[in-house]
Amino acid sequence: MKTLFSLSNLLAVAWFAGSLALLIAIWWVVSLVTEHEIPDPAATWTVFSEMLQDPFYDSGPNDKGIGIQLWGSIKRVGAGFLLGSLVAIPMGLLMGASTVGMRLLNPLVQILRPVSPLAWFPLGLLAFKAAEGATVFIIAITSLWPTLINTAFGVSSIPQDFKNVGKAFGFSRWKYISKILIPYALPHMITGLRLSIGVAWMVIVAGEMLSGGIGIGFFVWDSWNGLSLEKILSAILIIGFVGLLLDKLFNGLQQLVAYDKK
Amino acid sequence: MQPKQFVDMPGAPVLGKNERPVSIEVKDVTIAFPTRGKGVFTAVKNIDLTIGKGEIVSIIGHSGCGKSTLMNAVSGMVKPTSGEVIVNGKRVTGPGPDRGIVFQNYSLLPWLTVYQNVYQAVDAVMPAKTAAEKRELAERNLTMVNLFQHRDKLPSQLSGGMKQRTAIARAFAINPSVLLLDEPFGALDALTKGSMHIELLKLWNLDHREKTIIMVTHDIEEAIFLSDRVVVMNDGPAATIREIVDIPLARPRNKKAIIHLPEYMAVHDRLLSLLTKSFSIEDEGVEYQV
Ligand SMILES: Nc1ncnc2c1ncn2[C@@H]1O[C@H](COP(=O)(O)OP(=O)(O)OP(=O)(O)O)[C@@H](O)[C@H]1O
Ligand SMILES: [Mg+2]
Repeated sequence: MKTLFSLSNLLAVAWFAGSLALLIAIWWVVSLVTEHEIPDPAATWTVFSEMLQDPFYDSGPNDKGIGIQLWGSIKRVGAGFLLGSLVAIPMGLLMGASTVGMRLLNPLVQILRPVSPLAWFPLGLLAFKAAEGATVFIIAITSLWPTLINTAFGVSSIPQDFKNVGKAFGFSRWKYISKILIPYALPHMITGLRLSIGVAWMVIVAGEMLSGGIGIGFFVWDSWNGLSLEKILSAILIIGFVGLLLDKLFNGLQQLVAYDKK
Repeated sequence: MQPKQFVDMPGAPVLGKNERPVSIEVKDVTIAFPTRGKGVFTAVKNIDLTIGKGEIVSIIGHSGCGKSTLMNAVSGMVKPTSGEVIVNGKRVTGPGPDRGIVFQNYSLLPWLTVYQNVYQAVDAVMPAKTAAEKRELAERNLTMVNLFQHRDKLPSQLSGGMKQRTAIARAFAINPSVLLLDEPFGALDALTKGSMHIELLKLWNLDHREKTIIMVTHDIEEAIFLSDRVVVMNDGPAATIREIVDIPLARPRNKKAIIHLPEYMAVHDRLLSLLTKSFSIEDEGVEYQV
């Protein structure tokens, strides 16, 4: 049984603190070298705490608190990710389960996957007549590929042994899907989802710089226009932190569905 | 049709063959696999084997000679290239719940608990039964192999012997008339193996010795202790049956007592020489001989 204060936990915290200290040290050096053109951690911290004083203030369309901006981005990523996954999972299952599906869809995936999601932005604008829709659209596209590829891989790599169990004991199609195919593919699927949400969170910043409106990406761009590097650095830290949380969330999910845990 | 080279060894007493109804007939079965590029690889050739209901037959032979392939032909997992397999009067065209299989590597579903592994098989094979009946069946079979208190564990939390017993409980729970065991005790230590032998025979006895059992093994003592007949295979490719050896030992057998019987020693010697001879043939030209 692990307690909260076990040695390994304390060590993990210590290493994390060390890593943070290293970051701050490098940052400080860069700040000194650039003669404070890049603000130092202390100056950034002052601005950062100010931002956190009232994260949800709302003074007009172009002046909103960091909390509102962040929440706007999270909602967009959530919506796009959900849409993308709803398409990617069934498509991945299809590709993995049937050779016809694989042969037909794989070239398509191979061609579209390397395209920067931002390239879809104009098409999104055209289709949805709004920047909001277009942003969700590119997030959906971003979320498509890792989930699709990993799901397809998971399904197509089911070991013959497990298939034989289904055959030998006369599993119905439904029992095969629910007791063999899905459980085997699920960890791969979640790996795909985890990669997808990671990329989606990266792309949202760029997407919102294009789209404007409310969001952390727009906030970064707006801070640049307002020449507040402290705000940009604060936003970078926040983006990183939220990304970490999202990753941890899906990591937890992965642990949950791992079947070979001791 | 090619001439049948190895029909149940004429002259050898075929225990059970006449007084029992036939359970399994392997008729002139040849199995070839397509190989990468050039032609086919013939694993087993012209296999003829008739097994009576309630008989326990072991298949023994060197690694890669085609024992699993032959078992797979009976289970329906592999389709014979020529010839046919008939189980309970019906030609085998695919796997079916009349034949319970214990796979060479257990093949438990790792995301299901011990209980679920057994229950899902029962549920698939006997959809007409009520949930309570199916649960009772799964639990009874787990109790038989002494795994009831471990029923909520995942396969990754089991020892090799426990996995094995789960696989046996699963195969028995669907109440097949034929049990196909592919090296079921291969990975076990001598002690566990011994108790598994007893458990297997117990399960067989409980069912009035009506189940036909084919077992692949590498272990001569195990084959003698458990079987009515032992099928010795030649080495591949195109492996055939070398000889079918009768085990003239009355049941119930006492493991410690039988090894001193002259019949036991004779059979043991015979099997050993059959196996080592084929080994030295294979290694012709090599100086040492086993
Ligand atoms: N699906 C397959 N495709 C091609 N060749 C196969 C296939 N299955 C088996 N073989 C070949 O058939 C031969 C017999 O294999 P098999 O698994 O039946 O051996 P075995 O007697 O069970 O060996 P072991 O004692 O090691 O389990 C081997 O040479 C193997 O390479
Ligand atoms: Mg084998």
